[in-house]
Amino acid sequence: MLDISNLSASIEDKKILKNFNLKIRNGEVHAIMGPNGSGKSTLANILSGRKGYKIEGKVLYEGKDLLNIPIEERAQKGIFLAFQYPTEIPGVNTNNFLKTSLNAVRKFRDLKELDSLDFLKLVKEKSKNLKIEEKILSRQLNVGFSGGEKKKNEILQMTILEPKLAILDETDSGLDIDALRIVSDGVNALRNKNRSFLIITHYQRLLDYIKPDFVHVLVNGKIVKTGSSDLAQELEKDGYEGVATAR
Amino acid sequence: MNLKFKDFQKLNMGPKELDSIRALSFKKFEEQGFPTKRQEHWKYTDLKTIINNNFLNLQIFENKNSLQLNSSFLLKNFDHNKIILLNGSFIESNFSFEDEKKINIKSLKVALENKEEFEKIKKYFEDDQNSMISLNHALVNDGIICEIDNNYSFNKPLVLYNFFNKSADSKIVNNKVFISLGENSNLSLVDFYKSENNIKYFNNSIHNYTIKKNAILKKYSINATLDQSYNYCSTKVNSFSNSVFENFLLSLGPNLIKNEIHCNLLENFSSCFINGIMLLNGNQHHELKTNVNHKFENCKSSQLIKSVLLDKSNGTYQGKIYVDRRAQKTNGYQLSKALILSENSEFNSKPELEIYADDVKCSHGSTTGNIDENSIFYLMSRGLTKQQANKMIVEGFLNEVIETIAESDVKKLISQLFVERINKANV
Repeated sequence: MLDISNLSASIEDKKILKNFNLKIRNGEVHAIMGPNGSGKSTLANILSGRKGYKIEGKVLYEGKDLLNIPIEERAQKGIFLAFQYPTEIPGVNTNNFLKTSLNAVRKFRDLKELDSLDFLKLVKEKSKNLKIEEKILSRQLNVGFSGGEKKKNEILQMTILEPKLAILDETDSGLDIDALRIVSDGVNALRNKNRSFLIITHYQRLLDYIKPDFVHVLVNGKIVKTGSSDLAQELEKDGYEGVATAR
Repeated sequence: MNLKFKDFQKLNMGPKELDSIRALSFKKFEEQGFPTKRQEHWKYTDLKTIINNNFLNLQIFENKNSLQLNSSFLLKNFDHNKIILLNGSFIESNFSFEDEKKINIKSLKVALENKEEFEKIKKYFEDDQNSMISLNHALVNDGIICEIDNNYSFNKPLVLYNFFNKSADSKIVNNKVFISLGENSNLSLVDFYKSENNIKYFNNSIHNYTIKKNAILKKYSINATLDQSYNYCSTKVNSFSNSVFENFLLSLGPNLIKNEIHCNLLENFSSCFINGIMLLNGNQHHELKTNVNHKFENCKSSQLIKSVLLDKSNGTYQGKIYVDRRAQKTNGYQLSKALILSENSEFNSKPELEIYADDVKCSHGSTTGNIDENSIFYLMSRGLTKQQANKMIVEGFLNEVIETIAESDVKKLISQLFVERINKANV
């Protein structure tokens, strides 16, 4: 699915990722943990196509050079980034945005575009599972949403768009325990043998709910340790510094 | 340019006093000519240059032929009363949704020919140190006078149609509209402009509104369809105790429009709300100049203008709040936000507060900028093309103002016209 080799990224001469390597196969769930400033969000940004980085190295997505694929096409081809800080866009109706987005993706996949009625049926069902109040969907996109509502809205989009590779950038931050459980249930419901996940987080807590196949520790732009989900427990005990120096 | 005033005079003889006002006003206009950017109030709209560049031989419009109306212009699927002006002249009215006894409407042309009638509106022919107003006083030949009784609320909106057909081509049309709303009365007025394809004219229009005690006038100025018209419209409002004046402007269509709104809040607890959007492309040039005069205590005013500029378009908002020495406890607010989407477009914003009272709350804000890159990235990361993302953001940006409209049928009409326009704008 995703094959990252020797990826280096810098912004204004500051190197953030240094010869980063990662392989994600179909159906795998990978977690990347690391301290602040280790390069986690940069990785997510680069995979989704954000501009402003000087990039070296290679990223293959389904065998194709991802770095040359335009932003919107990445989404259409099945890459989804759940933002750490979802953008507030005044005046844009959430439902209308969701529908436009879904139809852009469906069109690319040669599926029939949904009309308003079918769309509303779908969004009603999906938002119910995530315990999202319907009325927030008729509000402006992310404007005045609480932290939890914003994150749930990201997961709702993921659920509707059915990506092949979902990247969750600190989706757990700012969530209370109930919301964390709902969000995790949403992610777990999407897990299948073809869909892969890259979960970026500070804390092991989220990984109690979403059991990853692999945990990577990212420090200073490099993966310093890879292990099974037990590694997350170890990190909780010894801290990033402990794990990073014990290698 | 050579406006043939002598010929006009011969055809439009009225009460002596009017004839001399016309002659004097035309003389004033001739002395000053069309306004230029050297005048402070015309700093951003050099009308003289615009007229010289676009009209080879501008002539006074004369209503000679019986006027034929193209009824396909009328709004459909929208219950409304109507007043129809064709090339500025009153054609017909229809108040089928109302108690017609409560409404008194007459043609201004008739009033201008009658000494007693003219006496009643004479005070609206004052000199205003503005050559466009002088020109209007000199050349006005029709319009309407509409008076609504006390204690009458309209059941449906009233559309004031301003149609222009090929007889107006290369002409300057001068008209006046008088609307007076009685105590405790309520009217929604849709001021709707439309012209036949490919005709070029100048409409110089003055609206005078009187809003009496406890009355509510909601006005929607709609210039939605792209056309080659050039317009100056000056609206003067006198608001009395506890009355409300609301004006929403949909400024999308004409090549040139300068809208001026002068609202005098004359008595306790009267209020004025001006909201509007401009979406301009090509060489369009639109200006809104407001002048809200708080002349008495406890009055409230609020203005919200959002603009989007494409191509070589030019937009201006000059918003002034004046607070008289007597006008304590004034609450005044204005905000302008503009998105500039082309290097060649221009937006000018000039907020002015002039305050002589010491216990007032007045604020203003103005921002001009580009579309936020993070917003575009967010939408594109969900599969939207850059064009789709831009359009969605622009539509949302302007829609926020449309959302302030409380009347659902008018809001629906305005939304439709806006969507038609934005789909053509190539955002």
